[in-house]
Amino acid sequence: MSMTTPFQMVGDQAAAVCIGDVCEIPQAAAPVAEPAHPSEQALVNRQLDEDLV
Amino acid sequence: MSTPIKVDIWSDVQCPWCYIGKRKFEDGAAQFGGEVEVEYHSFELAPDTPVDFDGSPKDFLSQRKGIAPDQVDMMLDRVTGIAKSVGLDYDYDHVHQTNTIKAHELLHFAKSKGVQLEMKEALLKAYFIDGGHVGRIADLADLATTVGLDRDEVVAVLEAQTYLADVKADVAQAEAYGIQGVPFFVIDGKYGVSGAQEAAAFTNVLEQARSERDEPAVTAAQDAS
Repeated sequence: MSMTTPFQMVGDQAAAVCIGDVCEIPQAAAPVAEPAHPSEQALVNRQLDEDLV
Repeated sequence: MSTPIKVDIWSDVQCPWCYIGKRKFEDGAAQFGGEVEVEYHSFELAPDTPVDFDGSPKDFLSQRKGIAPDQVDMMLDRVTGIAKSVGLDYDYDHVHQTNTIKAHELLHFAKSKGVQLEMKEALLKAYFIDGGHVGRIADLADLATTVGLDRDEVVAVLEAQTYLADVKADVAQAEAYGIQGVPFFVIDGKYGVSGAQEAAAFTNVLEQARSERDEPAVTAAQDAS
C-alpha cells in the first residue's frame, strides 16, 4: 500500500498508527525536522505493512 | 479576533493509538495556547467485526488474524505501557472487541448537538479503560446520557441509521485523502500529521499554521506604513 495525501506531512513519520485492525509500535522512529514529502510516508507505510504492523 | 485553527482528526474508537494520540495532541494544543477547533471524523479499522464478537482483542488478533498469542500479549503490553505514560490505564482484560459503526454514528449525532468531543472521550474511556461495550445501541445510549444527550433520541437515531451516511462520507473522504492509518490529523486543511506523535510535534505544526496566517497581516501592515 502507498499513501499519497494532498497534505504536507510533518512530524515523526514513523509514529505509531493503527492500519487495518492491527496496531503496533514502529521499530524505527527517527524524528523528521522538515516537512516530509508524501512519498516518504509511503515508504513508512509500506514498511509497516511488511512488518504486519 | 482570529479564527481558530481547524484540526480534523480521523480516528476509530477501538484504536489504541488514537486515544494515546488524543492525549498527546491535547497536550500539544495546550502548549500552543492558541484557539483550536477540533472535529473528529470516522474511520473504521475493522468494519467486518461482529457487534457481538465473543472475545477480547487478544482473541480477535490471534484467532481471526493468525497472530501468535504470545506476540499479541507483547503488543498489548507495549501499548498498555505507553498508554500509562500519558495517564491512560488500558484494561485489555476487559475490553469488548466489537464493530464501531454505531459508535461513529453516535459521534456524528453528538456533533450535531455540540458535544462531539465529550462523546469521543467517553467512548474511548468506555472501551479501553472501563470495559464498556461500544457496539450495542443500548450501551451507547446509556453512555450518551453521561454527556447530556437524550437516551431515547440516541436510540431513535441509531436505530434509524440517521447518521450512517455521514460516517460513510468520512470514510470515503479518508480514502480520497489516502489516509490508511489512524490517528490522522489535518491541521488547518494543509498539514498532515500521522500517528500518535509527541506533543511537541503538534505544538510545532500549530505554531507553523498560526505563523503562516499572520504573514499576510504583517505584509499588509508593512505596506500601509
